[in-house]
Amino acid sequence: MADAAMSGPGRRVYFQQGTVLKVMVLAILIALIVLPLLRTVLFTLQPETITAWSDVLTSRLSENLFYKPLTNTLIIGVFVSSFCVLIGGFLAWLVVMTNVPFRKTIGVMATLPFMIPSFAAALAWGSLFRNDRVGGQLGWLQGLGLDIPDWLAWGMVPTLIVLTLHYFSLAFTIIAASLATVNSDLVEAAQIAGAKGGKILMGIILPVTTPALVAAGSLCFAGAVSNFATPALLGLPVRMQTLSTRLFGMIEVGQVSRGYVIGILLVLISGAFLWAGNRIVSGRRSYATITGKGGRAKRFDLRGNRWPLLVVAFAILMAATVVPVIVLIASSFAPSSADLFANWTLHYWIGESSPDFAQGIPGIIHNNDIVRALLVTLALGCAVAVTGMCVGLLTSYTVARYREGVLSAAITQISFLPLLVPGIAFGAAYIAYLGAPIGPFPALYGTIALLVIAGTAYLLPFSVQTGRAVIQQVGGELEESARITGASFFQRLASITVPLAMRGLAAGGILVFVKIIRDLSLVVLLFTPTMPVLSVVAYRYASEGFAQFANAITVIILIISIAATLIANALQTKSQPWLKN
Amino acid sequence: MLEIKNITKRFGHVEAVKDISIMVPDGSFLVLLGPSGCGKTTLLRMLAGLEHPSAGQLIFAGQTVSDGDKNWTVDPAKRNSGLVFQSYALWPHMSVRGNVEWPLKVGQMTKSERTARVDEVLELLDIHQLAERYPNEISGGQQQRVAIARTIAPKPGVLLFDEPLSNLDAKLRGEMRSELMRLHRATGATTVYVTHDQIEAMTMASHVAVMNHGRLQQFGTPDELLQDPATSFVATFVGTPPNNMIPVLKNGSGFKVGSKHMPFAPPDEATESLAMFRAEALKVNHEESATSLPMELVEMSAIAGRTMVTALRDGLRLTAITDDPPKAGIGQTIHMELPPEPACWFGQDGERLH
Repeated sequence: MADAAMSGPGRRVYFQQGTVLKVMVLAILIALIVLPLLRTVLFTLQPETITAWSDVLTSRLSENLFYKPLTNTLIIGVFVSSFCVLIGGFLAWLVVMTNVPFRKTIGVMATLPFMIPSFAAALAWGSLFRNDRVGGQLGWLQGLGLDIPDWLAWGMVPTLIVLTLHYFSLAFTIIAASLATVNSDLVEAAQIAGAKGGKILMGIILPVTTPALVAAGSLCFAGAVSNFATPALLGLPVRMQTLSTRLFGMIEVGQVSRGYVIGILLVLISGAFLWAGNRIVSGRRSYATITGKGGRAKRFDLRGNRWPLLVVAFAILMAATVVPVIVLIASSFAPSSADLFANWTLHYWIGESSPDFAQGIPGIIHNNDIVRALLVTLALGCAVAVTGMCVGLLTSYTVARYREGVLSAAITQISFLPLLVPGIAFGAAYIAYLGAPIGPFPALYGTIALLVIAGTAYLLPFSVQTGRAVIQQVGGELEESARITGASFFQRLASITVPLAMRGLAAGGILVFVKIIRDLSLVVLLFTPTMPVLSVVAYRYASEGFAQFANAITVIILIISIAATLIANALQTKSQPWLKN
Repeated sequence: MLEIKNITKRFGHVEAVKDISIMVPDGSFLVLLGPSGCGKTTLLRMLAGLEHPSAGQLIFAGQTVSDGDKNWTVDPAKRNSGLVFQSYALWPHMSVRGNVEWPLKVGQMTKSERTARVDEVLELLDIHQLAERYPNEISGGQQQRVAIARTIAPKPGVLLFDEPLSNLDAKLRGEMRSELMRLHRATGATTVYVTHDQIEAMTMASHVAVMNHGRLQQFGTPDELLQDPATSFVATFVGTPPNNMIPVLKNGSGFKVGSKHMPFAPPDEATESLAMFRAEALKVNHEESATSLPMELVEMSAIAGRTMVTALRDGLRLTAITDDPPKAGIGQTIHMELPPEPACWFGQDGERLH
């Protein structure tokens, strides 16, 4: 009887709900992320390449190939992450917990350095501090007659300073968010118990924010050890190598398998630190503070220290944001960085080619290489924004809707895997993966497709996170209640999902766009003269001594990034008629 | 007839719903009652077609809509059912009218029919004056009405409610209860209603299914549950105030309550059992007697001209309803006197003893 009833409008269920979708998403992620990494490892295990491991680790070359760069890399990681947590934590404390003047301004400015490409600060450092050690142009301070010592002009010290000024804003964001959750009730309960400022800080606030401090430290560590641009611009001229510059150098000179081995080791090191940080934090979940109605904490009164601390904060923030931008802009007009604010000319922007200027390189708008790089970069940014948001949305939808099961767990893990992989190592992996033909597919090296696919994969953790935020807005019962009316997948998409998610998606897409156009480490290895991108062109000009062009291009990237970020912010905050109260 | 036949739902290794069978005639008001996590919402989502059962069948009016054994399903929209979500799930970017109209548009009703039907249900729920507002511009109770209007507009034969009143305050909840019963009479649709609130179940249901840990504890009318509870869980979960459950231990040839021998004998002389006493059967005394227990008075409250007295001792909590409140203060000792016979007996496993 039951069988007869089944002739109706039903259908057979062949798979468990969601299995098809999950398998599809998993396949995409494996193709984008797992295969390139796997292929890199396999490449170094072939009979003719396996010696690369012993070359790197145990030969007489290994001192220079691996151990010295490793030492430098670890020094950078340890110092930069410590300084970042100190500076970021200090600023976060000022902004969130105290009554320092201009708190809001400090808060906004502290998030800016991360918007500026990391090579911008390195270029600006050069324009200010270069001395005559390696020839070429002198920096402004040297030009003023100061004698800049080598240790301040080149190598480890400037690398540490520039990286700290870049990554502290990451630490600030994480620590400030955590401090903001320290409920005023917690602090007031301690006050009622009789604790004073110092006791409250050491006894309540620090323990509660420890997970955030650890997370900030390990993320800054991973960022600093995998950064390529800064050590390349400030360290390479004096032969200071890190693992990422070594990896770049090996692949540039064609010692591909040694380069891959160094890349794999770099992934393991940065991954190990992130994993360790995560382990420390996850053991302390119980500190998740319970959010109640608790209003804003009464602010810690700095009294006489209000203004001195403000000066300290502003000095740091100026050095990280305003100074580099002014230096970059000035140096794109000044024929000599030794005399940064004199003889300004527009030649580097709009001049025709002339043998008297910069060995005949025309200004940016007449320079076909740069114009082409600009167009390629914009196309790349748009393409990665679209593909990234599509894959990110699909992934986060799948995981949000079908949380259970091994497949969903695998999808989540794989989608965050690129976080552990430094950009330059990821670029190397993609050369191993798509640089040579696979079966019927041609080699993609030198095409924009390679850049788009690699960029999409590299930024996937970010786009999945954005997608998740969008899904939380739209997903769940809102979507189910549409499904239950009988609306088809496309009807639901058009009438419910897209109208609700549009702004979030657009804002997320723009942020992906900004991330990819100012990225250097991923694209520096995938760069080919036929497919130039702005950041690599700027890096090339800088290393060939044409700082003005490098700086002018960086200014362009900055302007595009800032404009796009402003649009994204406007989209995210712009009131929606149905959200008005 | 709405039939739930041996339904089981597994999520990974967890059995959320275990072998449940229920049958109610068309036009019934079936309440699925149980504490959080008992599987009632999962069962409702299977009825709606949002989840597929791991085993068993769901049959609406002779038509199998889900078959976990044969992997057969009818899409949610083709089941002639409608679901009101706990969060209401109103589409925030559509006005009240838009929310109610959209499902009709999906169902390919003509424009004029749609307008007429939307006006009709808005009138029925008394929210026609809010038609052009957006969900965030109306109160929680009004949102609830919109959610119901949206669900009944396509005239479903089966109406499903997922804890619809849990987000409303106590007064509004009472009003909406009567409103929902009025709607049930007006539409005549078979209704399945999920709640953890036994008062809602007892006031609204024609049939109640009490669930716990994914299993069906008892299925019957509200009256049957009160008069004839099948398990100790049901006996303590339904009824206001809840029934008293007192452990009785065999001691030699007699039976002991607490440290005191009492003249009770459970069926088959069970060594460990639970005796159920109704609150109105207990008396509160100031003197000790053969069937009284000395306890600490912990709560007293006036209810409809009578007094509810709660007393505690060694983890045993007893509630009595009495006409004359004891003249003892909170924290003082009173004597809870048990009637000569318990209302019924339960075994240590919670099953009824006969």
